[in-house]
Amino acid sequence: MIELRNVTRRFGDTVAVDRVNLTIETGEVCVLVGSSGCGKSTTLRMINHLLPHSAGEILVDGEDTTAMNPQQLRLNMGYVIQGTGLFPHWTVARNIAMVPRLLKWPRQRIDARVDELMKLLDLDPATHAHKYPQQLSGGQAQRVGVARALAADPNILLMDEPFGAVDAITRENLQLEMLRIQRQVRKTTVFVTHDIDEALKLASRIAVMDQGRIIQHDTPENILRRPASDFVESLVGKQDRGLKLMSLRPVRDLMTPHGSPKPSRPGADVLREDDNLRLALSVMLWQDLPQVAVFNARGEETGVITRERIIQEGA
Amino acid sequence: MSVTGPVASRIPPNRVIPALALSALVLVWLLDLGTIQPNRIVAGTGHGLLSSLGWIGAGLVTAVLAASIVLSMVPLARRYLLLLGLTGLSLAALPLLLEVFASRHLPEDSPYARSSMGAGFWCLLFLLSLMLIEILGRLKTRRSLQLMLLVFVCGSWLTLLRSDGLESLSLVREFNGQGGQFRQALWTHLALAFGAVSISAVLAFVLALKMIRNTAWRRPVLGAVSFLQTIPSLAVFGLLIAPLSALSSAFPVLQSLGIRGIGWAPALLALIAYSLLPMVRNTFVALTEVPESLADAGRGMGMTEGQVFFQVKLPLALPVIIEGVRITTIQAIGLTAVAALIGAGGFGSFIFQGLGQAAMDLVLLGALPTIALALLADALLTMLAASLKPTSARS
Ligand SMILES: Nc1ncnc2c1ncn2[C@@H]1O[C@H](COP(=O)(O)OP(=O)(O)OP(=O)(O)O)[C@@H](O)[C@H]1O
Ligand SMILES: [Mg+2]
Repeated sequence: MIELRNVTRRFGDTVAVDRVNLTIETGEVCVLVGSSGCGKSTTLRMINHLLPHSAGEILVDGEDTTAMNPQQLRLNMGYVIQGTGLFPHWTVARNIAMVPRLLKWPRQRIDARVDELMKLLDLDPATHAHKYPQQLSGGQAQRVGVARALAADPNILLMDEPFGAVDAITRENLQLEMLRIQRQVRKTTVFVTHDIDEALKLASRIAVMDQGRIIQHDTPENILRRPASDFVESLVGKQDRGLKLMSLRPVRDLMTPHGSPKPSRPGADVLREDDNLRLALSVMLWQDLPQVAVFNARGEETGVITRERIIQEGA
Repeated sequence: MSVTGPVASRIPPNRVIPALALSALVLVWLLDLGTIQPNRIVAGTGHGLLSSLGWIGAGLVTAVLAASIVLSMVPLARRYLLLLGLTGLSLAALPLLLEVFASRHLPEDSPYARSSMGAGFWCLLFLLSLMLIEILGRLKTRRSLQLMLLVFVCGSWLTLLRSDGLESLSLVREFNGQGGQFRQALWTHLALAFGAVSISAVLAFVLALKMIRNTAWRRPVLGAVSFLQTIPSLAVFGLLIAPLSALSSAFPVLQSLGIRGIGWAPALLALIAYSLLPMVRNTFVALTEVPESLADAGRGMGMTEGQVFFQVKLPLALPVIIEGVRITTIQAIGLTAVAALIGAGGFGSFIFQGLGQAAMDLVLLGALPTIALALLADALLTMLAASLKPTSARS
């Protein structure tokens, strides 16, 4: 658990972070969102004490960070830097192995861990382990950045715009992977972005920041339904909130289940239980169907969802 | 290089090699290949190609040069490999021309007579070397192969120069006349140049660190080392004589260490002073140009300041620091020759003795090894810097 109590950071006369109170529960993903220069990175960097705070206190698992050894604190916090920050003179494998090496893990354990992480992030160890960062694409480099942060299995993950410099499709893939990994490893995560859609997709709770302050800290659904101010309202987009809410809910919520799953039927682009309602509606509009079948992860048909019900109850 | 027929016919003719070979051909026929001196000081009589080597020798030289012109024009896939063999062997065998020349023209009854290389020979040597460089560039050979070729050519020269047939060559005569002093000069030269470079490297490193930690040090340090660089080298050597002799007469301990107004001590001091600017500047720039975001990444992941420095900053700065060491080393090897003026020894002493005695061959005996040392240091340090850049070496 991470607690920020009345935390302030000044740079000379400018106040970058202004009396911030924020509690991040163990295992949840807290997304800091806000426009450029609002103090997101500064907040993140105060949590691992890369920047000392000017006032207030920061507690990690109940312990004040100013009293802790900064190296010890940081070794237990994976950190993904804005703009990857990979070391250009080290190979991909060596970059990922960085924290385990600092922790003096035995060689075999490091090698095995690097291999495991590269596979987790969909990077083929045979082709990529010995490349240098300059030889990677932007998306691959960011995967390596995430792998490096996860390497020593830290309890806490700090991610500063980890998917910043990539195209929309790669970004989407990385987000899906992030969700998959989060389901597997459950880290207490502080994730910085200025993309509200990314925030809605990944967050357990979102903290909206503006000019160094936290305007609203709540679940994605509440942020959409009850924005605390005009600023939050314009950030989430006034008009298409309906569709955004739909994209937060899985098909499972509104489908009519069959008594027992029907045996699988071949088909590639079928709708799954954990796809979102927005996608389901889009499929039905495009194919001009009143209802579609829903499948589970094993490919069995488990129910149907109707267009009518989505429109009535979706948002 | 496994180019087959149809592709081979599209290989364009090389323009550089024919031009070089043609110039070599013209110059070697126009200029004297060698001269014979009755003794060390008296001016010699020159001999052209034909007179020096006879019809067979002159024909052979002409044939080799003509062959390389033809080879570089024909669209043959492996022509550069053939040319490499031809020029490499010719360069290695070049001293044989002098041997033939000496055997034909050296009067047997006069023990002081000596042969020396004429302008034609130097031109041939120079142009053949240029051809070799061009061929190596076209072949895109690896550095290790280039080094092997260099060792082969140099080795062949050394072996041939030591053989009996070339005993009369003036350069060899001077070398033999100096006896053990040549080796002594080599060691002094190396010790002075590399000693100065090592000491200034350590000093520069400390100064650069100070400048990074404390911005107030930057201007004065850079100003001071730049100022040192602007004093003419001879003046520095001269200016150090007075204070050092005063010091050594005040403290006899220094005298017993060999520290006097002239000799190695002022030379070393001056060389260090000169080496500081390139060293400090490159080390400082190299270390400050490592992006702060990388140092931050290291810290953010739990590195201590020491680990950030030794594992991130230093390795990333090293190629540029080594570039500074390279420049400084070449400069120091050259300046060490000048330091002979204040009695420091080294190859410079041959140069200044030779100038004093109007014996050009003695000058060459000092100048040629100085140039060779500088080239060697340049090649080795360039290789070192290249091997430390991970991606450029392997991608
Ligand atoms: N080292 C520093 N010195 C002075 N001012 C700083 C420093 N770091 C940040 N600031 C200021 O603090 C404010 C917040 O910066 P911060 O980097 O936290 O923004 P951000 O929300 O991460 O923005 P972005 O989305 O562009 O990364 C900015 O106004 C910035 O100019
Ligand atoms: Mg930022």
